[in-house]
Amino acid sequence: MEKSSTALEIRGFLQLDAYLKKKFGKTPVYLEIEAPLSGLELSKQLEIDRDDIEVIFVNGFVQEVDYILNPGDRVAFLPPGCPGPYRIALGFYGKNQGNEANFKIKNK
Amino acid sequence: MQKFIRINMTTLQSTITEVPEKYVGLGGRALTSSFVNDEVIPTCHALGKNNKIIFAPGLLSGTSAPNSGRMSVGAKSPLTGTIKESNTGGSSSQMLAKLGIKAFVIEGKPDNTTFYVIKLDINGVTIEEAPAEILGGCGNYEAIRILGEKYGKHVGIALAGPAGEYRMPAANISFKDPEGNIRSAGRGGLGAVLGSKNVKAIVIDETGAGAVPIADPEAFRAASKVFSKAILDHPVAGTGLALYGTDVLVNILNEAGGLPARNFTAGRIEHNDNISGETLNATITERGGEGKVSHGCHKGCIIRCSQWYPDKQGKYITSGFEYETIWGLGADAGIEDLDAIAYIDRAMDDVGIDSIETAVAVATAMDGGLIPWGDGKAVLQIVEDMAKPTPLARIIAGGAAVVGKVCGLYRTPVVKDQAIPAYDPRAIKGIGLTYATTTMGADHTAGYCISGNILKIGGFIDPLKKEGQIEYARAMQIGTAAIDSTGMCLFVYFGVADNPGGYQALIDMINAQYGIQLTSDDVDELGKTVLRIERDFNKRAGFTNAHDRLPEFMEYEPIAPHNVVWDFTPEEIDEVMKF
Ligand code: SF4
Repeated sequence: MEKSSTALEIRGFLQLDAYLKKKFGKTPVYLEIEAPLSGLELSKQLEIDRDDIEVIFVNGFVQEVDYILNPGDRVAFLPPGCPGPYRIALGFYGKNQGNEANFKIKNK
Repeated sequence: MQKFIRINMTTLQSTITEVPEKYVGLGGRALTSSFVNDEVIPTCHALGKNNKIIFAPGLLSGTSAPNSGRMSVGAKSPLTGTIKESNTGGSSSQMLAKLGIKAFVIEGKPDNTTFYVIKLDINGVTIEEAPAEILGGCGNYEAIRILGEKYGKHVGIALAGPAGEYRMPAANISFKDPEGNIRSAGRGGLGAVLGSKNVKAIVIDETGAGAVPIADPEAFRAASKVFSKAILDHPVAGTGLALYGTDVLVNILNEAGGLPARNFTAGRIEHNDNISGETLNATITERGGEGKVSHGCHKGCIIRCSQWYPDKQGKYITSGFEYETIWGLGADAGIEDLDAIAYIDRAMDDVGIDSIETAVAVATAMDGGLIPWGDGKAVLQIVEDMAKPTPLARIIAGGAAVVGKVCGLYRTPVVKDQAIPAYDPRAIKGIGLTYATTTMGADHTAGYCISGNILKIGGFIDPLKKEGQIEYARAMQIGTAAIDSTGMCLFVYFGVADNPGGYQALIDMINAQYGIQLTSDDVDELGKTVLRIERDFNKRAGFTNAHDRLPEFMEYEPIAPHNVVWDFTPEEIDEVMKF
C-alpha cells in the first residue's frame, strides 16, 4: 500500500523491524487512521509488547510512548537497546522517566 | 616491577627501566597523553624524528575484568597536528600487561629506508629487519599470516599497513585480534607515525609471562562479578549491541534526521533499510557459513558488538563492521549495497587506513566530482590502490580536509582537519559541541561516557535546543577521558551508568588491583587532568579557541528534515572547556 496523506507511516527498529516485516510483509507499514490515537494505542493494535518500547519517534523527534499521533505522522517504535550518548543527546532520557521499559536495569 | 620500555630507532637500541614515578598510577590515555605532553616537542613535525609514539595498556588490562583489553596509542597526529590518543581492541593490550609492560615508546628515526620488526617478550626487546615479503604493499591479512609463521600463531601483532608504510595522514595501526583478523587504532594517522620510524610491525609474545598481580584478589573477584552483571543485565549491552552491532544506529539516526548524507547535505536517506544493523543481522543469519552476528574483539569481551560478515557463499569478508564505516560509505557517499561496503571495509583493514576518515574523504571527493556518487566499485579500487599507491589513492588517504582543498570545496566536514563522523551536529547539538572542542579533532568517541552527572543533566536535553548542551558536552568529555585510561571498552558505560553499583564496581576493581582507594571524585578529577594536559599540548602546538569551531557551512546550510543550522556562538562553545 502506498502512503495516503492520512495514513500513519510506521517503522520498528531492532527486533521490531523483523517483527513488522514478518507481520506485514514489508516496512514501512501504512495504516489509515480516522482520529488521533496514542503511540500506546497504536502499539496495541500492532500487537507490540509494551516491554519492547523504550521511546517512539514521531516525525523525527523522540517522544514518550503515549504521545498523540495524528493522521499523516511518521512513527517508529524503538525497543530498549540503542547504544551511545545519543540516547541522551536525542532526548530519550527526558522522555522515558516514567517508563518501565526504559533503559534502566531490569533484574533478570 | 612494571617496565617502561624505550626503543630508539635512530640507534636501534632499547632501554628497559622502572616506570617513572609520575606515571605509576596512570594507564591508557592518561599515560599516553601525559607522556606525549612531557616529551614530544609540540611544534615538531609529526613524521619527523622528534615525534614519539607510545603504546599503553589500560589500568585493568590483562586482568579478568570484562571488556578490559583495550590499548591506547599516543603521539602527535600527522592528520590534525594535535595530540592524539587512539584506542583499539585485539590481543596486544592484555599480552603487554601480562608481560608487566606499563608502556613502550618508539622514538628517533633511522636514516635509511630499511623497515624493522620490533619484538617484545619476556626477555626484552629485539629489533630485526622486516621480512621483504611483508613490505611494499603487502596487505595486512597476508602480513599477519607471514608474521604468524615466523613468530608463532599465538603472538600479538601491531602493524603499519601499506598506508602507514607510505606515511599517509589517515593511516591507522592495525592489530591482530584473537582469530588473526584485524582491529584498528583508527583515527589520527598514527600508522603514518609508525611508518615514519621505519617500524613495520610490533610482535608481542607473552610466552612465560605470569598473571597480572592483584593486590586484593577476593575484592577484585567480587567487584568484577557486580560489574559483569551490570553490563549483561542492560538492554544496550545485553541485546542491542550484541545482536545488531553499532550499526543499529543507522535507523535510529536516520529517523532522528541526524544521519549525514551526500557529504552532509541532508540528514536522512531513503535506502536506510539496505544498510541498517537490522539488515546486517538478517543477512548474516540468512547466509550462515562463517557468519556470526556477535563476536568479541578481544578475549573477555562480554558485550560482543563485533560480528563476522560473510559473502553470499558464507565465506568471511570482514569483522568489526562498524556503524561509522557503514554510515560513511552508505549514507554520506551513497553506496547503497551492504556487500559493496563490506568489501571496501575489508580493503581498508587490509591496507591499514582509517575507515571513518576514508569514507568521509570519499564522500567529499564525490561532492568535488573526483568519484561518481555511490560508486562502490570505484571506491574499492581506490582503496586497493593505496597499496601502490596511485596519486588519487594518496589524495583520498590524505583525509577529508586535503580532498576538500584539492577539489576547491567550502563544504568540507572536518574539525582540526579530522573528518566529522556519523552524527550531524546541526540536528544533535551536544555532539557538535564535543566535535568542536575535543582535543583530538572531530571525534565521536571523545564524548562517549554516560556517567551519573550526565544522567542528571540528560533529562532536560532536546537535540535541537541549546539548553543543557554545554554541561552535557563537558561532562561527557571528562568522563570519557577517565574511562579511556582504564583500558575498558567505552561500551561498558551504557551498562554501568544506569546502575550506580556498576560504576562503583569499576572503581573497586581498580582499587583491588592496585591496593589503592580511589573515589568516583578522583576518577572525575583524572578525566579533567587528562583534558588539561591535552589542551596544554595543543596550545603549545599553536592551537587556540579559534580552532574549536565547526566548519562554517554548518552555520548557513540547514539540514533536512529538521532544517536546522549550527547556531552556537564562539563564546558559548568556549564555555565547554571551562572547568
Ligand atoms: S563491545 Fe565491541 S568494541 Fe567493545 S570490547 Fe567488545 S567487541 Fe570490542
